Amino acid sequence: MSLPEIQETLRNYIAQNILFAPDGFAYNDDDSFLENGILDSTGVVELVAFIEDHFKVSVEDAEITPQNFDSIASLAAYVSGKLNHRP
Amino acid sequence: MNAADYFLRNACDEAPAFITTEGQVAYAQLKAICARLADELTGCGIRAGQRVAILAKNSPLWAAAYLAILKIGAVAVPISNLYPLEEVQRVLDFAECKFLFLDKPAQVKYASVCSGLSCFLLENNLLQADSTPWLAPDPGFDLDSDAALMPTSGTTARPRLVRVTHRNLQANTESIIEYLELTAAERMMVVLPFYYCYGASLLHTHLRVGATLVISNTFAYPETVLDMMETTQCTGLAGVPSTYQILLRNSSFPKRELPRLRKIQQAGGKLHNALLQELAASRPQAQIYVMYGQTEATARLSYLPPELLQSKIGSIGRGIPGVSLKVLDENGKQIQPGQTGEIVAWGQNISPGYLDDPEASREKFRNGALYTGDLATVDEDGYIYIVDRKSDFIKSFGHRISSYEIESCLLQIPQVVSAAVVGLPDEQAGEQIAAFLVRKTGAALTEQDVLRHCQTRLPRHMLPQSVIFLQALPLNAHGKVLKSELRKMKATA
Repeated sequence: MSLPEIQETLRNYIAQNILFAPDGFAYNDDDSFLENGILDSTGVVELVAFIEDHFKVSVEDAEITPQNFDSIASLAAYVSGKLNHRP
Repeated sequence: MNAADYFLRNACDEAPAFITTEGQVAYAQLKAICARLADELTGCGIRAGQRVAILAKNSPLWAAAYLAILKIGAVAVPISNLYPLEEVQRVLDFAECKFLFLDKPAQVKYASVCSGLSCFLLENNLLQADSTPWLAPDPGFDLDSDAALMPTSGTTARPRLVRVTHRNLQANTESIIEYLELTAAERMMVVLPFYYCYGASLLHTHLRVGATLVISNTFAYPETVLDMMETTQCTGLAGVPSTYQILLRNSSFPKRELPRLRKIQQAGGKLHNALLQELAASRPQAQIYVMYGQTEATARLSYLPPELLQSKIGSIGRGIPGVSLKVLDENGKQIQPGQTGEIVAWGQNISPGYLDDPEASREKFRNGALYTGDLATVDEDGYIYIVDRKSDFIKSFGHRISSYEIESCLLQIPQVVSAAVVGLPDEQAGEQIAAFLVRKTGAALTEQDVLRHCQTRLPRHMLPQSVIFLQALPLNAHGKVLKSELRKMKATA
C-alpha cells in the first residue's frame, strides 16, 4: 500500500469514526491531532485498534507517542514503516 | 480574604509554580502575570461580580487568568475546550459572560463565539510580563461572593453551573491539604483539566502550599506523561478511573520505577477493586488515596486513609476534615450497617446552589446540606461504600441491581480494559442488563468467555443478557463514562 493510500485511509477513518464529519477530514496532514482537539485519549485508543485491525500490524505501547501518532503525516509514515518491516 | 490572595500567600517567590514542556514559571512570575491580566480586565471595564470565561487547555496562563479573575472579585467560568461550539456558546450565554480568555487553538476552533464579547488571547509572550505589582489584599472582601461558576458533568437540557464562593474554595483547600499532608516539596503531575473541579482542586491546593504543578496535556499518549514524570521527578499523580485503567492496562506504568512517586490520588468515580489492587501492587512505595466528591461540594467530600486501602477496599472512606458526611434513609434517619441510603454532606465547602436554577437547587441543596444522589451503605466503623448513583441502579425482575458490582466482576477478567453496565428497557424484566467492554489490544475474548466468567461469580439475576465489545467507552470531558450514550447505542443497534 502506498503512502498516499495510507493517508487517505486514515483521513477517512478519523473523519467518519472520530470526528463524525460528513464532509471529510477538514485539516491539513501536518496539523497536530492534540493541538486541534482532533483526538483525545479515547480517540487514540480507537485509532490504535483500527490500525492493528485494518493494516494487520502490531502497535506497541511505547510506540504510541506524538512523534508517531499526532498528525496524518506522522501516522501514515509510522504505518508505512510498520508495513515495510512486516515479517 | 479573596481566594486569589489566599492561594498565592504562602509561596516562595523563586520556587517553581509550574513546569511544562516549555519550561518553568516561578511564583513571582505567576503573580506578575496575574497582576497584568487583572489590570487588563479592569481596563476593559470588568467589575466585581461580572462573569469572565476561560476557554483553553491547561497552562500557567490558564491559572494566571483564573487567579486574575478572582483577584478583582469577578467570577470565573471555566469551560471545557473539548465542548462542541454550540455548547460553549450556550454556557457563555447562560452565564452572561462579558469577557473571555482563550488560547490560540481555542481561538481557531471557536472563532465564531468571539464576536459580541471582549476576548483576550493567552499567548506565551505574557510569560515575559513586566513586574506589575500585586495589590494588597482587601480586608473587607466578601467571602460569600461567587468566585467561580463550574459546569457540571450532568447532561441536562440547559447548562448547569455550580456557584462556588471564595469561602467554599478556601474551606475545601484547607481540608484537602490537611488530609493529604501536602507541603511545598510536592511535585504534582496534572493531567486533569483545570476546568474540572478535581483538576482545579490540584491547582488550589498545590499553589496554597507553594508546591510545583507539572502540566501535561498529552495523556492521549501516556508514555509521554510517564517520561515527563520521570524527568521532573514527580511526587504526586491524580487521576480518574479511566486514567488508571489506561495506565495499568495500556502503558508501561506498572514497569516504570518512578521512585519519587509517593502520593497517588484517585477520585471522579469508582475505580473497581481489581484495578485498585493492581495499582497498589504496582506502587508499593506510594500512598494511594481513594477519594470522593462532587462539583457541588467545590471538589472533595471524603477520603480513605491509605493505610486502610486493603482492609476497607471499595470504600470512599469518611468525611474529610471540616465535612460531615452521613448516609440517610428516606425518612432522614442515619442508616445501620447493611442498609442503603443517600449520602448527605454538610460543610463550608458546600455550594450555595446552581446558577439561575432554583428548582434543581432546591432538590439538591436542602437545609444547608448537599443531597448527593449517591446511594451508599456503611460498615460498623462508619466507612462509606457507594452502591450506585440513584439513576444508575438497574431494576430487573424486582431486584435492585448495582451496575458497579457487575462492572467490578467484569474487570477481574485480565483482558478487559474497561467495562460499563447499563439497564435497558425490557418488557419482561423491567430492565435487562447490557455489558459494554473494551478488550486489551489483541485479546481474543468472546461473549461466551465473559458470560462464563460471570456465571461462576454473580447471582443469576445479575448476569448480563448481552455483551457488546467496543473499541472505547464514550467518556465525557471529565473522563466519566457516558451511560446515556451506551443506552442510545444499544437502542439504535
